[in-house]
Amino acid sequence: MIVAEHVSKHFKRHRREPGLRGSLRTMFSSQYDLVRAVDDVSFEVPAGVKIAYIGANGAGKSTTIKLLTGIMRPTTGQVRVDGLDPHRRRVEVAHRIGVVFGQRSQLWWDLPVLDSFRVLRHIYEVPRAVYDRNMRLFRDRLDLGALGNTPVRQLSLGQRMRAEIAASLLHDPAVLFLDEPTIGLDLVLKQAVRDLINHVNAELGTTVMLTSHDIGDITGICDQALVVDRGAIVHQGTMRELLRSVDTRAVTFEYAAGSVTEAEALQIIAAELPDVRAIPAESGRIRVEYPVERWSARQVIAVLLNRFDLTDVLVPDADLETLLRRIYAGSPAEPVSVGDGA
Amino acid sequence: MSVSTARRYARLTTVLCGVSLHRLTAYRMDFLIGAASFVIRIACQIALISVIFQYVPSLGGWTQQQALFLLGFSLLPRGLDRLFTDQLWILAWQLVRTGDFFRYMIRPVNPFYSLLSERFLYPDGFGELATGIAIVVTAAGAMDLDLTLVQWLLFLPLVLCGALIHTFIKAFLASLSFWMTSSLNVMVAVNQLSEFTAYPLNLYHPVLRGLLTWVLPFAFTAYIPARYLLTGDTGLLLWTLPVTALTVLLGYGTFRLGIRRYEMPGS
Repeated sequence: MIVAEHVSKHFKRHRREPGLRGSLRTMFSSQYDLVRAVDDVSFEVPAGVKIAYIGANGAGKSTTIKLLTGIMRPTTGQVRVDGLDPHRRRVEVAHRIGVVFGQRSQLWWDLPVLDSFRVLRHIYEVPRAVYDRNMRLFRDRLDLGALGNTPVRQLSLGQRMRAEIAASLLHDPAVLFLDEPTIGLDLVLKQAVRDLINHVNAELGTTVMLTSHDIGDITGICDQALVVDRGAIVHQGTMRELLRSVDTRAVTFEYAAGSVTEAEALQIIAAELPDVRAIPAESGRIRVEYPVERWSARQVIAVLLNRFDLTDVLVPDADLETLLRRIYAGSPAEPVSVGDGA
Repeated sequence: MSVSTARRYARLTTVLCGVSLHRLTAYRMDFLIGAASFVIRIACQIALISVIFQYVPSLGGWTQQQALFLLGFSLLPRGLDRLFTDQLWILAWQLVRTGDFFRYMIRPVNPFYSLLSERFLYPDGFGELATGIAIVVTAAGAMDLDLTLVQWLLFLPLVLCGALIHTFIKAFLASLSFWMTSSLNVMVAVNQLSEFTAYPLNLYHPVLRGLLTWVLPFAFTAYIPARYLLTGDTGLLLWTLPVTALTVLLGYGTFRLGIRRYEMPGS
């Protein structure tokens, strides 16, 4: 459904020099830096898949989405959505895709929300039945009816995001591109948005491509992951594979106050479990990150049970957070490869 | 453009104008302030003309009523243009810089149409059009202007050509923002220059006259058609169509080129 073949996007940035003299020089110079926002990236996303597009800020995620939605043209290479070049055949592609940029609005700034949807219905030529069905869905799941006659410019961020997401789904798009779609939403609404997207995917087979810094979005929506680093793809596979490739696990525990000091506790762990990273966590807890190659969960827990007067133990889900943190911190070229311990 | 596409855009325009009128009633205050400020500006222009004609009987061969007719006529294409293309100002000002231009690229309609549609029937245009009509009718009545059949037939097409010239000069200048990120300054300067055409062009230095006729062809939006309607002088009138066509091509072509190189900043 979505195909990228050796896609690169390079920007020219004029080199700016500081100060008045520098800015004068900038005006007359033709020197520029080449920024490789996306560099020779290839991937393919089959129809009906919900894929997370993961990478640090500046990894080229948004740029790739702008290329796939026809907003910009790639410098070299090809992108196709449903078999069409999104920039050259923009109008046809626009009919088939929905787009949400969490930081921006695509609604009519000074029109009431419902008027915006009425206009969108005509722009996308949405059949009456589909329009009614979707508006009912949005009313039920996003409480869109409550926004009704408020002009978009008076909406809060959370209200606006609900309207944006509804707007992107109004015409039953075949592909949905979501760039930070739950920004500004509270926990309940975040969940409502995730449920809605999953519902639409299940009912209509909508392909979803998501970028988000919210781990809950990624785990709550996506079944596949695409990891980009410095403009290049470093991993593509199912979410499960990605999680399996994480080479550390974590255990957080709490021990009876006063039995040992924090420094002592850290020392004990360092002595008994070499190669393990122990980090003081909030409210007196300690988080233990251990490499799965070196230690098993049983060994780690055994040591903890043995040495501490445990009052609480938390074993987080396979540790996507650690993985993402490592990706975002810009670890060496293959962030999901095994072998560097914790 | 096929018939069905044309019909689709016509229907869309009706819908968009409908919701805009709705907006007009929702923000009545904005509308009133916009209209009031405009009426004050025009009143100043009329006062200026009256003052001048207290001292001289005619100005470059134009009587007071003729000068008023010209002033009024100049508002017609300008008002018509403003009713539909006010969003070009926003493009020149900030749409490229802030990245918000993207929304015209993701809708399944022509991006130029999509851009303009955001401000169809913006309130300010109504004031301009209404004032223009009032002045033209008053001045024509005062001098018992008698149009020939051909002049009657050409009246609306001339206004339309003038509006197109206004629109696509603006489109050209606003599109420069794709290269400069903001071209508002240039647009403000040119807009001020265009106000010169509310007065008889033969008063000005030949260089300015040439500029307003052949470089920024605002003369074709007011002076040339108004003189034809008043005196039957066809002078440069025949150039109206080619000049309009060329302006449209240049303005729209620049917009298309701008889109090709559009880079949306930020995430």
